[in-house]
Amino acid sequence: MSWADAIFWLLAATALLAGWRVFRTDSMVRASFFLLASFIAVGAIMLMLGAAYLGFATIFMMAVEMMVMALFMVMFMMNPAGLNPMSMVHQHGLAIVAGLVTFAGLGAFALSVDLPSRPLPAGAEVTAPLGRELLGPSMLVFESAGVTLLATMICAVVLSSRSGRFGPSDAGSVPPSIDPTAQEKS
Amino acid sequence: MSPLGALGVTLGVLVAGVVLVGLLDALARLVLGPVPLETPDRLTLEGLRGAVRRQSLTTEHPDLAAWRLAPAAYLGLAAAGLALVPVAADRAAVDVEAGIVVWGAVESLTVIAVFLHGWSSNSLLPLLGAYRFVAIGLSVMLVSMFVLIGAALPAESLRLTAIVESQRGLWNAVRQPLGLPLFLLLGLAITLRGPMDYADSADLAGGTSAEDSGAPRLAWQFARAAMLVAFATMAATVFLGGPLGPLLPGPVWLLLKAGFVAALLVALGRLLARPDASRMLTFIWVVLLPLSFLDLAIAGLETLR
Repeated sequence: MSWADAIFWLLAATALLAGWRVFRTDSMVRASFFLLASFIAVGAIMLMLGAAYLGFATIFMMAVEMMVMALFMVMFMMNPAGLNPMSMVHQHGLAIVAGLVTFAGLGAFALSVDLPSRPLPAGAEVTAPLGRELLGPSMLVFESAGVTLLATMICAVVLSSRSGRFGPSDAGSVPPSIDPTAQEKS
Repeated sequence: MSPLGALGVTLGVLVAGVVLVGLLDALARLVLGPVPLETPDRLTLEGLRGAVRRQSLTTEHPDLAAWRLAPAAYLGLAAAGLALVPVAADRAAVDVEAGIVVWGAVESLTVIAVFLHGWSSNSLLPLLGAYRFVAIGLSVMLVSMFVLIGAALPAESLRLTAIVESQRGLWNAVRQPLGLPLFLLLGLAITLRGPMDYADSADLAGGTSAEDSGAPRLAWQFARAAMLVAFATMAATVFLGGPLGPLLPGPVWLLLKAGFVAALLVALGRLLARPDASRMLTFIWVVLLPLSFLDLAIAGLETLR
């Protein structure tokens, strides 16, 4: 086994173990960052495949996304800090069936499909062709996904903003006075 | 550069830079007076002695793994950022194809390290600092991304050595006048300084490090200074032409420019006031983000010309 093989298996094991911990931990914040650890391992595998931009962009984007996800989950949930223990799993029966079906499907796909093997010459430029592909032939898919994500983000902001559909959520509330006796006077 | 040589150079510059940051902070204290309400254990010799001698206390039910690992992650990210910087026009300790994207990853993971540092101690003021910092840190990081894309445009490459090479005629700081000032704000944020210090500020009794003591406290302060070193060299590379310059050898120019940026950041951290977090957030989204779009437009037009 070469060094590259050893590093690959180490990263693959990290991705799987961290992914498993996402569901076994008891806090939304920890779950988010275990998922991030899993994605970072996947990003590192992409780096090993010679996709420098995609690998680093995965790590970069996942870091931002998991941080935002942790923040929004805590904002929308009853557990204000994310430190109180709570279960990360629900709907066990459905989850087990969905998990097995997905695993069998993806496994069958990976084993049955004839995966392409076209090694690039060392030092080949890959970032610029990727950009041309994304903003050329694949532009429709790329932009549809982008606009959908943007719409989702705007909806999330509307749902979580202080002035929602029913007016400001803190209407009528008064911040505590600096003068402790002010309450009694009024 | 051999891997061991690269590691040696990076760590050497990091430690020397941290000492320099400590000196700059001491100089700022001498010129501008002590910081009101500041905990007096920043990187001074006295602070070092105390940190080694004192025991490290913990809170009730902390996430101890995350709490102890956060300073290590912060320091590791600083080292990773510093390793990307080209020390001469054609070589860096780690010269990767998408260097500027790696720096972006360093920025975003830094926000997570600071958040976990505050969150994991299971204590009110650190938690407030952590959440406040995420809101500000992510927003100002977005600004820095557009600014960095602008800096990569004239080079037509994401490689940092190419970005240095593209500044042979004119520095990006001159060509894109909005770039460096906006990037400096990110520097203040990820090094937790002055107007952008929403994590460790005095109004939260030290924020995310309010519960830190002993050696972990020292490690956190060290990592903070190390991040300033990494940021200063990166800003010098992307906007001030990095190692390019007449007469003197490249690495000397890089260190001079990075020293200037570090001094500027320390001074700005002391001279600018910090507004309320919600006001700052509005300011970032309403003023700074459009300015970064403008910077990108200027960079694009300049490149097309």
